[in-house]
Amino acid sequence: MKRLVYASVLALMTGAGGAVAQDVTLTLWTESATAPESVFAQEFSAIDNGITIEIREIRFDDLVTDTLRAVATGTNPDLIAIDNPDHAAFASRGAFLDITDQVAASDVIDIDAVFEGPRASLTWDGRIYGIPRASNTIALYYNRDLFAAAGLDPDSPPRTWDDLLEAARALTDPENDVYGIAFSARASEEGTFQFLPWAQMAGGSFDNINAEGVADALALWKAFLDEGLASPDTLTRGQWDSTGTFNGGNAAMVISGPWELGRMASDAAFDWGVTLLPVREEGGVRASALGDFNLAIFANTDHPEEAFAFLEYYMSQVDRVWPEFTRLPSVAGVALAPTGDARIDAAAQVFTEQLSYARNRGPHPDWPRISQEIQTAFQSVLTGQAEAQEALDEAAARIDGIMN
Amino acid sequence: MTRILRSLRDGIGFDVLLVIIALSYLLVFAGLPLIYNVIISFQTVDVFSLGTLWHPNAGFDNYRAIFDDPLAGRVLWQTIVFTLGSVALQFTFGFALALFFHQNFTGATWIRGLFLAAWVMPGLVVGVLWNWLLSGDFGVINHLLESLGLIEDPVFWRSNVETSLYAVLIANIWYGTPFNMILLAVGLAAIPGDLYEAAELDGANAFQRFWTITLPMMRATIGAVLALGIIFTLQQFDLFAAITQGGPAGSSTVAQYWSWQLSFREFDFGRGAVISVLMIIVVLFVSLIYVRSTKAETQL
Repeated sequence: MKRLVYASVLALMTGAGGAVAQDVTLTLWTESATAPESVFAQEFSAIDNGITIEIREIRFDDLVTDTLRAVATGTNPDLIAIDNPDHAAFASRGAFLDITDQVAASDVIDIDAVFEGPRASLTWDGRIYGIPRASNTIALYYNRDLFAAAGLDPDSPPRTWDDLLEAARALTDPENDVYGIAFSARASEEGTFQFLPWAQMAGGSFDNINAEGVADALALWKAFLDEGLASPDTLTRGQWDSTGTFNGGNAAMVISGPWELGRMASDAAFDWGVTLLPVREEGGVRASALGDFNLAIFANTDHPEEAFAFLEYYMSQVDRVWPEFTRLPSVAGVALAPTGDARIDAAAQVFTEQLSYARNRGPHPDWPRISQEIQTAFQSVLTGQAEAQEALDEAAARIDGIMN
Repeated sequence: MTRILRSLRDGIGFDVLLVIIALSYLLVFAGLPLIYNVIISFQTVDVFSLGTLWHPNAGFDNYRAIFDDPLAGRVLWQTIVFTLGSVALQFTFGFALALFFHQNFTGATWIRGLFLAAWVMPGLVVGVLWNWLLSGDFGVINHLLESLGLIEDPVFWRSNVETSLYAVLIANIWYGTPFNMILLAVGLAAIPGDLYEAAELDGANAFQRFWTITLPMMRATIGAVLALGIIFTLQQFDLFAAITQGGPAGSSTVAQYWSWQLSFREFDFGRGAVISVLMIIVVLFVSLIYVRSTKAETQL
């Protein structure tokens, strides 16, 4: 026993002694210690390259707030994983490091292979300010068992808004605590993320939020709530919790993204499938939201080269983000390796196609304020405090004021 | 030199020194931030200029923007409802409990101590707890009300614009009652027992004793408790963050939460500061009441 203690103390001492010379410690802020960047950062630290990355986990809701405060006081980390619509706020004000030249010289990072959407989100004024972590988007998950029980065909899930509304009506079963559909209309970025695709399918966009059809999109959402097809808590619940009710069998459909696949595969005690977001009418425009994070280096870091080395390491591992984390690579030419779960592999097809219709939020340095106006509009309509067109017109006017 | 030292040790200098220490503490940690807040409310400040000492002047633009905001009237009304509702009910329940435990039955002090458990919990924990209790589909409170036959359909406390403010209000009453109880219990204990004995001999009934002895003797304590209650309620933030986030559609947004939203969600620190300046003015008035009641207390 005593020898064992000696041995470990000795190992600790030599380990520390050998490292003192050129050890560099970087800090990384992220929403989750189990996300790809965190896992890759641990692997990167374990490599004998003198660089250690310390990970700090910050709740998604607080990530931007805490980071802005840190930037204002100069206490920001070296690296961050940040939601892509928030990227421009930092890049445009010089908080992130311009890595255009390093990327051009890099053998590992090929920025031209990055899909257009993610690339636009991390570009500001023609310069590159980060790399994409992954991409995601939302689609419609449905409970195949409940479809069969309600007399619907599990092999032909809803294709149009009318189909979706009909299906939600048929599936809603208050006796057994089952809502037809779950989604998130929360007054946060998640709500904007969920609402914009519907507005876009109806011909609107964040800079044209009062386009003619957007009121119809709101009418659809309002019908879900008013007819009791979705829980009233939809207004205050995020996507993760909404999907939790689907996994628990209390909602027959849910609108959410591929990040749910792992949990659903283990939690859901029923057969489920994924399909594209229904369109406004047969043959209508498809749209969806481009989600997920970017990785960026802060401009004031003392170790830009070491931090960039981590971005290169991340990119070298990018083919693992699908099989291990069910996130879609943002880089062309990466095959989605089979995961061994037929349902997840089938979902891969759907999400890949859905992603090709995904549109950016922004990029705009004042995105949080634009997003807030959109949230105010849909929440005031869904709670019956304003008429749809009126609320959308007002939001459009205010967004105009922010953008110009 | 020695004269100064001696004066510091046991003359008037010692008193002056103490006053200087207290005043400089107040100036550095309360006065300067307060003044800085007032200055910021007249400036255009976003997060990237927050770190710099001076910002572009905005005149009364921030104040105008706040008063013109469609949310302003509702926030004001909701803040009044929340504050008065919280203080009135916390005080009523607190006073009732204090009187109850004043009966000194076996174990009264122990149980009274246990009541404090609610108050020592962090606000966010209380918020998460009530978030579950008030949940619409699976909430305990809905289950209770339904089993008692008081409601037929679940009430979506947090998601209904009619009830969201009351959801936080209920949680806040529960949270603040023990504090009121303890302060009032201290006040009750300070009333000399012979007053009651004398009144009883003179034939005063329980209600008369309460009305003519307890209430007048407690005047100072009650003033202090109410003033502190208003100040604490105006500081209440965690419960809003945990239960409704001010929503849906702003139906549970109160002034302090709005100020935070403007500053730390929209990063418009100027407008956020405007609200805190207005709140400081209210709190100053309430503090005057507090100081006056504690002064009355020391004169007793």
